[in-house]
Amino acid sequence: MNHPTLTITKKELAVFVNKLIADTTYDVVGPKAKGKRFAYETLENASDLRLDHDVTILPPKKYFLPICETLLHYNLKKAFDAHPEAEDKPRIIIGMHPYDIIALQQSDKVYLDYQKDDFYQKRRSSTIIIGADIETVSERSFAASMETHTTNEGFDLLLTSIGASYAVTIGTDKGKKLLDKYAVTKKITPVDLKKVTDMRSRLTGRYKRSVKAPKEDWPRILAANHDHAIWEEKSDHCMECSSCTMVCPTCYCYDVRDTTDLNLTNGGRFRTWDGCMLKDFGRIGSGEVFRKDIKDRYRHRFYRKGNYIPARYGYIACVGCGRCGIACLPDIADPCDVFNDLSRFGQQPDTDRYYIRRTTKPQEKGIIHIPRSATITRIQRLTTAETLYELELDDKKPLGHKPGQFVEISVLGIGEAPFCVSSAPSPAPVFEIAVRKVGNVTSKLATLSVGDKVGVRGPLGVGFDVKAYEKKDLLFTSGGIGIFPMRSLVNYVLAPENRPKYKSITILYGAKTPAEVLFQNEINAWKKVEGVQVEQTVDRCEKNECWMGCTGLITTLFPKVETKKLDIKNTIAVVIGPPIMYRFVIKCLQTIGVTDDHIFVSLERRMKCGVAKCGHCQMNGVYVCKEGPVFNNAELQNLPEAFE
Amino acid sequence: MTKDLSVHVHHLTRVEGHGDIVLDVKAGKIQQLQWQVVEAPRFFEAMLRGRKYSELRLITSRICGICSIGHSLASLKATEDALGIKISEQTQILRRLAINAENMQSHILHIGYLAAPDLLGVGSVVPLAGSKHHDVLLKIVTLHRLSNVMSNLICGRTTHPIRLTVGGFTKVPTKHQLEDLKASLQEALPLAKDLVGVLQSLQNKIPDFERETEYIGLSSPKEYALYDGTMTSTDTGPFHENKNYQSLMKEYVVPQSTAKYAKHARASYLVGALARFNLNSSQLHPQAQEAAEYFDMHAPCTNPFLNTYAQMIEFIHNIEDSQLLIDMLLSRGPRDEKPVTVTPKAGRGVGIVEVPRGILVHDYTLDKNGNCTKANCIIPTNQNHANIQLDMEALVPTILHKSPQDIELTLEMLVRAYDPCISCSTHYLTIHFI
Amino acid sequence: MSKPRVAIFDFADCEGCELQIANLEEEILDLITIVDVVSFREVMKEHSDDYDIAIIEGSIMRPMDEERLRFIRSRAKILVALGACATIGGVNTLRNQWTPDEVKKEVYGSAKLNETLFDVGPAKAINEVVPVDYYIHGCPIDLDEFKAVVTSLALGKKPEIPTYPVCVECTKNENVCLYELGKFCLGPITRAGCKAICPTHNSPCDGCRGILKKPETECVKDLVARYDLTYEELAQRCTVFNSGKEACK
Repeated sequence: MNHPTLTITKKELAVFVNKLIADTTYDVVGPKAKGKRFAYETLENASDLRLDHDVTILPPKKYFLPICETLLHYNLKKAFDAHPEAEDKPRIIIGMHPYDIIALQQSDKVYLDYQKDDFYQKRRSSTIIIGADIETVSERSFAASMETHTTNEGFDLLLTSIGASYAVTIGTDKGKKLLDKYAVTKKITPVDLKKVTDMRSRLTGRYKRSVKAPKEDWPRILAANHDHAIWEEKSDHCMECSSCTMVCPTCYCYDVRDTTDLNLTNGGRFRTWDGCMLKDFGRIGSGEVFRKDIKDRYRHRFYRKGNYIPARYGYIACVGCGRCGIACLPDIADPCDVFNDLSRFGQQPDTDRYYIRRTTKPQEKGIIHIPRSATITRIQRLTTAETLYELELDDKKPLGHKPGQFVEISVLGIGEAPFCVSSAPSPAPVFEIAVRKVGNVTSKLATLSVGDKVGVRGPLGVGFDVKAYEKKDLLFTSGGIGIFPMRSLVNYVLAPENRPKYKSITILYGAKTPAEVLFQNEINAWKKVEGVQVEQTVDRCEKNECWMGCTGLITTLFPKVETKKLDIKNTIAVVIGPPIMYRFVIKCLQTIGVTDDHIFVSLERRMKCGVAKCGHCQMNGVYVCKEGPVFNNAELQNLPEAFE
Repeated sequence: MTKDLSVHVHHLTRVEGHGDIVLDVKAGKIQQLQWQVVEAPRFFEAMLRGRKYSELRLITSRICGICSIGHSLASLKATEDALGIKISEQTQILRRLAINAENMQSHILHIGYLAAPDLLGVGSVVPLAGSKHHDVLLKIVTLHRLSNVMSNLICGRTTHPIRLTVGGFTKVPTKHQLEDLKASLQEALPLAKDLVGVLQSLQNKIPDFERETEYIGLSSPKEYALYDGTMTSTDTGPFHENKNYQSLMKEYVVPQSTAKYAKHARASYLVGALARFNLNSSQLHPQAQEAAEYFDMHAPCTNPFLNTYAQMIEFIHNIEDSQLLIDMLLSRGPRDEKPVTVTPKAGRGVGIVEVPRGILVHDYTLDKNGNCTKANCIIPTNQNHANIQLDMEALVPTILHKSPQDIELTLEMLVRAYDPCISCSTHYLTIHFI
Repeated sequence: MSKPRVAIFDFADCEGCELQIANLEEEILDLITIVDVVSFREVMKEHSDDYDIAIIEGSIMRPMDEERLRFIRSRAKILVALGACATIGGVNTLRNQWTPDEVKKEVYGSAKLNETLFDVGPAKAINEVVPVDYYIHGCPIDLDEFKAVVTSLALGKKPEIPTYPVCVECTKNENVCLYELGKFCLGPITRAGCKAICPTHNSPCDGCRGILKKPETECVKDLVARYDLTYEELAQRCTVFNSGKEACK
């Protein structure tokens, strides 16, 4: 517990701040007046600092996760040149309110705990935080309900106004050193100490707004009200501007894009704030949009605050600052209102139902946003739209992936896109991805030649647990380009050293037309392996096309599966295909008796960062890039967004 | 000399908007010689019908992308005149800075990008990159950027300014920003003077042609008039009845043009930098005077090709003038003034300013709710069309002995010298709303 | 890869968007190293009808303009609409509430007018006449967006245009919301991409990049009522740039 130990007069504080400003090694920022509102800006004079501000328009998160920052610079004239942005100037933030300090500690969980974000960490460690206890309570704030109106930690120094002086709480050595160097302070008197205690205890009562439901109940309230009418009623008024997420100190989603100068030589990969309320937040390369409905996006935001993040990190992701309430023109964004409304409608105890906890460790390799260089060593045209690329990592280290894991492939200047690895794990620094031309990155890949360079991040996500499938019958179903990741798995289990570990293997594969059948030669080879049954179908076959196999949807292959030979209770089914396919195939599998926890699927979402930060691939409480893309069907039962 | 000749310049290049030049000569006799304006008419003032006083500037700014600041200012002056609004001294100074910025931007664009290629014997500025004139090109670019930086700072944006509003400015520059601007202007002066040297060295490329005409522009005893002044003619002197401008600028329709033409005391008159120079050259700031000496230009200068040179002189004047205006602002300390509060009322207002291409008039009548019931704009380029035509008629007989290419180029150069803003001129119209 | 050949054409407009290209300053030199500008009447005399990319500025007013546009479309592999007049019709469409004859009569009175030059129909956005591949919105365009589109096309990438409202950028600029100051702003229903330049200068958004939600949408009506404005005011304000057929798509 930190207690105030010193006091500084207001006059001396101004001297202190001006000395900090004069020390040009720091960028000194603090709340300044902006019309009738306040905003954090660089201070040129202590007199501009408004420690009596109620709340700033944007939270100080802009200093840790800038609105727009360069992740890497590249030079397109060189083979592969991607280097990170130089460091920021160290910064001192003066006047941060307790709720913003607590919000920052929450961001630390996201950005530092699992696969740390190097850029965030650098800023975090080079920033000194001089907090300030709240003097003026914002009209819209309900911080007292969220117990974020005061804090004992998370700052280097904390100032508390007590009349003509400020009480100073020292949080860290860093803070103390700064004081020793620049400030004239006195030891706090018992009278002043009491003033601080009194001020803080009185603060709670000064809030006009409060949440009736204790914040501990939020996850249970949401668990019970997924289909409540409130989501539609409120979202009907939504302007879809995502101002609520932009001004939120605990929102952290971002978008990444490449921008090249007009000379087509230099450019940068930029990360900018993104918001889950925006229409295109869940749009993927092929044009498909997840969480298309505004109602679903509106609900998603509240579930993140009150259920998904609590399940994942253990805290409610709302600090009650009230900024969203101020920013939202139709005034539908304020959690205080929504939870007060919902508190009348029951609770459910299974609060973690939308989240899947994984214990797998991330593979930390270098800076998470900087791709490794790789060379295209072979290009094989599969069909008019699909191509197979063999890539060799230039550091000559193997990728080290499991079947089902994915990589982010960068074409500098164009962008980055996720691809499942299509080759089986290998000790060589070589792997394959198969690509269908749908978006910018895939179209650009189609123009590249052997010898060209691309960037690689990964392997990412959770692949198939091939160990757990040993001594079991395997039933693989894939449709369309679902064969791309399936190939990695099939080639792994069919490898001579692995084949004996598995019992029978049945492979079902469907394509739209004979011309779109992929890897036919390899499939023919699979058929020849002992104990392997392969069945193929095409949806349709034109008169002039040659096709000897079955015609019809993938489900027409199920009667051909020799179920009698399978030990159904010990059969592992893997399904990979377009979203529409899952529902029907899973039904077939359930009919023949495969249990849900033995049905594994690989799902596609907008995996952008690949490291559970940017938020784009989120499916209820789950990040597909971290907890997936491989899931078993039992896990997905509670995720309404899984097969939307 | 008897020869046949046909010159057809379809969509004259390096001018703003679409215009054609047609010359037909049979057996040494001119059959047809016409300057034609073929730009699609946009019927601009029709768009103002029923619009609120606060939207008029917004819409009329879109008459012209190059002189949108000038249109905005004429529009605001007319609106404020109609509503009886008095603007602050700071607003006056800032608006003068705005007009200087636009004059600089427009003039350097014309001198550097549109007119200079003719003098240097190339089709556009593009071939100048990497040539022996690369250095000149960079100076032009630097001065062009400075003009834009200045417009951005004062108006929020160069094209279609944002901060200009009825009664003042929505946002004003800070002290620091003004100090920086002043320093940049100081650095730009030597570059501008270098350009004066370059133009002087190319003065022998200017056709030796004189045709005396009437010159009309604003004049003021206080300054080289741009933002404010009295309409003045070199033929008839000052004309004080602002609201009766139509008796000075008599407009008419011709069949070959989508723009109206205008005349006053004679068959045609000239407006723009050359007219202003001829009216007010004694009020130019010292270094602009020096440039005029250097070009050996004295009022009255009757060679229309020298309009480009008059623009260069004005460019220097604008830099000097802006420095003085910034000093005035800095000495008072720029205040965060809010625009004057407006109470709508009925009335008619006329706003007259000098824009890069000449004298511009906006004339609005508002109803008691402040909605526009009648609007009229007199565009500088319209006032020059007839003079271009008469210049051509005087010029062609003197150059008929030249090659068709030379004749074509000389005619193109003549039109370009006027720096016509054809889009503007076709946006003209007068409407009486019912 | 050979340099794409680019031609820039203008129809009825103020040429302000083309002027922005001149405002690239030194970067023009970069532009001409990555593309061949083969036609740009406003600043160059050279002209060719052999081009890959046509950039079109301005609205279409007359049959003769439509014919010229169709010719350009037939020669261009990629057609880009530049600026509000081209993308949504812009201010030109304000006069469409009257017939061309009414406007002509009011404007030029009884004067005899050249039939070809004055053969005027309603003002149209480019895609009311020919298909458009990409849009660079705004009045005027934003230079950074122009650069992004040009570099994207040169790199073989589809340019991305925001589908979200100006509020997103305005909030990122940390502006005090104009509604809070009692001003009426079209930012909440206007396509972003301008960096919220007008609200950042304390001036309301006028919707020049196109309206995302029509004024008659329920949530917009709610908004208007909440801030004591009238639906008529909002609808009227929208018409400055968005009177055209293409405006509310």
